[in-house]
Amino acid sequence: MPPQSQVSGQGTRGGRVRLIRGPLVIGEPAPVVEAGLVAQDPYRPDTVADGGAAFGLTVRAASVRGLAKRYTGEPRQDDVCLRRHDATRTLIAVLADGVSAAPRADIAAALAVRHAAAAVARQLDADPAPPPIDWADVFGQAAWALVEEHRRSSGEPQAGVEQAAPLLATTLLVAAVTVADEEPIHVQVAAVGDSPALVLQARRFEPLVGETPDAADLLGAGVDALPHKPHAFARAERTLGPGDVLLLASDGLALPLGDGTGEVGRVLARELRRPPNVVDFARLLDFSRATYDDDRSLIAVWSDRS
Amino acid sequence: MDATQSVPPVPAVPPAIGQVLPIYFVGDESHSMAGAPIDAVNRGLADLRDEVAKHPLIGKKVRFGIITFADSAETRLELSELSEELALPTLAPRGRGTSYAAAFAALRQAIPGDVALLKSSGYQVHRPSVFFLTDGQPTEDEGRWRDRLAELTDDTFKERPNILAFGVGDAEATVIQQVASSPRYAFMMTSGASTAGAIAEFATSMLNSMVSSAERLERGERTIEFEKPDGFVQLDAPIL
Repeated sequence: MPPQSQVSGQGTRGGRVRLIRGPLVIGEPAPVVEAGLVAQDPYRPDTVADGGAAFGLTVRAASVRGLAKRYTGEPRQDDVCLRRHDATRTLIAVLADGVSAAPRADIAAALAVRHAAAAVARQLDADPAPPPIDWADVFGQAAWALVEEHRRSSGEPQAGVEQAAPLLATTLLVAAVTVADEEPIHVQVAAVGDSPALVLQARRFEPLVGETPDAADLLGAGVDALPHKPHAFARAERTLGPGDVLLLASDGLALPLGDGTGEVGRVLARELRRPPNVVDFARLLDFSRATYDDDRSLIAVWSDRS
Repeated sequence: MDATQSVPPVPAVPPAIGQVLPIYFVGDESHSMAGAPIDAVNRGLADLRDEVAKHPLIGKKVRFGIITFADSAETRLELSELSEELALPTLAPRGRGTSYAAAFAALRQAIPGDVALLKSSGYQVHRPSVFFLTDGQPTEDEGRWRDRLAELTDDTFKERPNILAFGVGDAEATVIQQVASSPRYAFMMTSGASTAGAIAEFATSMLNSMVSSAERLERGERTIEFEKPDGFVQLDAPIL
């Protein structure tokens, strides 16, 4: 057993057990604001933190409300969803970043992640030796869930994508990680919009799909989103090798991460070498850094193969 | 192993130290603005500085610059962080002309350098926005201001700004429509309203827009949010 003072998150000042409080600060701290409790119905929690182990993989997922929305009391518009598919030994991980111009972006993100995870699982159910994932079907089903929600809430059974999209819009990033005996760990990933999937290898962040910010460009171009663009997906496949960490991120993290060579990249690379516990993972994601106050979400997958 | 190959190249600046939204106010200082209208502009700018400086989150994200125009254009405030101590210029009427061309040329000149300076300091820069306010029609050849506007808004100009255009007094709606980079960014004072009153509403809306845009800065979304000020009509429909 390590001495207590080395247990993270705990201090022993004066012999009393103390919780170490406050966010992890990277660079210039963001101001401290009192988070407004969300008034939205259905209620959206400020933070979700999740994770566990399956098939020799360890996964962590967190979604934290940005400082800007905490300040205004608006709901978190990112969401994450995990699901295991035992028959094919596949971990399904999904992340969405609601488009804030759409007033119900929070609901869009919440629906999209759940329906996409279910769509992947249904494909895997249908075929025990599954072919590559049919991404058009996955994004199509997630897009349709947004239209259905709009029909339900508006009471307009004929409403379509054109009516739903201004209210419910989100990016969507989906990964399926399959662990077959004696075979390399296989990652399939696809995205509509700019939320990136990356592989962290030592200190390098290798982009798989989605956009990573280009220092030469200005920020603020349009973004592809569901339900408008279910066919505008980018896809990639990759083997997850020893020491690789698969990362799915929303742009609230991707932006301060940049190309990974800055302070945020260094901290993440160091802290994600091994899986933090679920709550520490969310705390890491909720770091304080001036001007970066958007919602942040991150899913990380490690393999226990050495 | 060759050690020089294993060391990643060191970037010249620390990347991503913060994100910033450059905003320019481009205001008419021609003689017709004398009196209550120009006073309303000065009051509006001072309120804007104080409100942004007070906001816990957006002060660090916004960089604000002021360019004025009459016969010629002048940069009255270099792109700056809005703090309570920031000394603002006092706008005053000068010159008889209303040269839109000079204003557009001054922006075209200023923006690339301003963006480059922010980037070299390690900032991630959002597309700049311009709030253009005039109480008159351009007093120059139409081809001249159109050419300068085209140079400012052309797709080949990488840092081309979003332009929100506001007409008060004798401004011409069809001209305001052409200056705005989108029809929903074109606004004309309702006829019969007081110019100074409309300017005060404009200033409030500019502040609200800065706050809501800077609060929800996201990488992939449009950078400027704006709602029509009271006392203005939005020119997003064809003018009859």
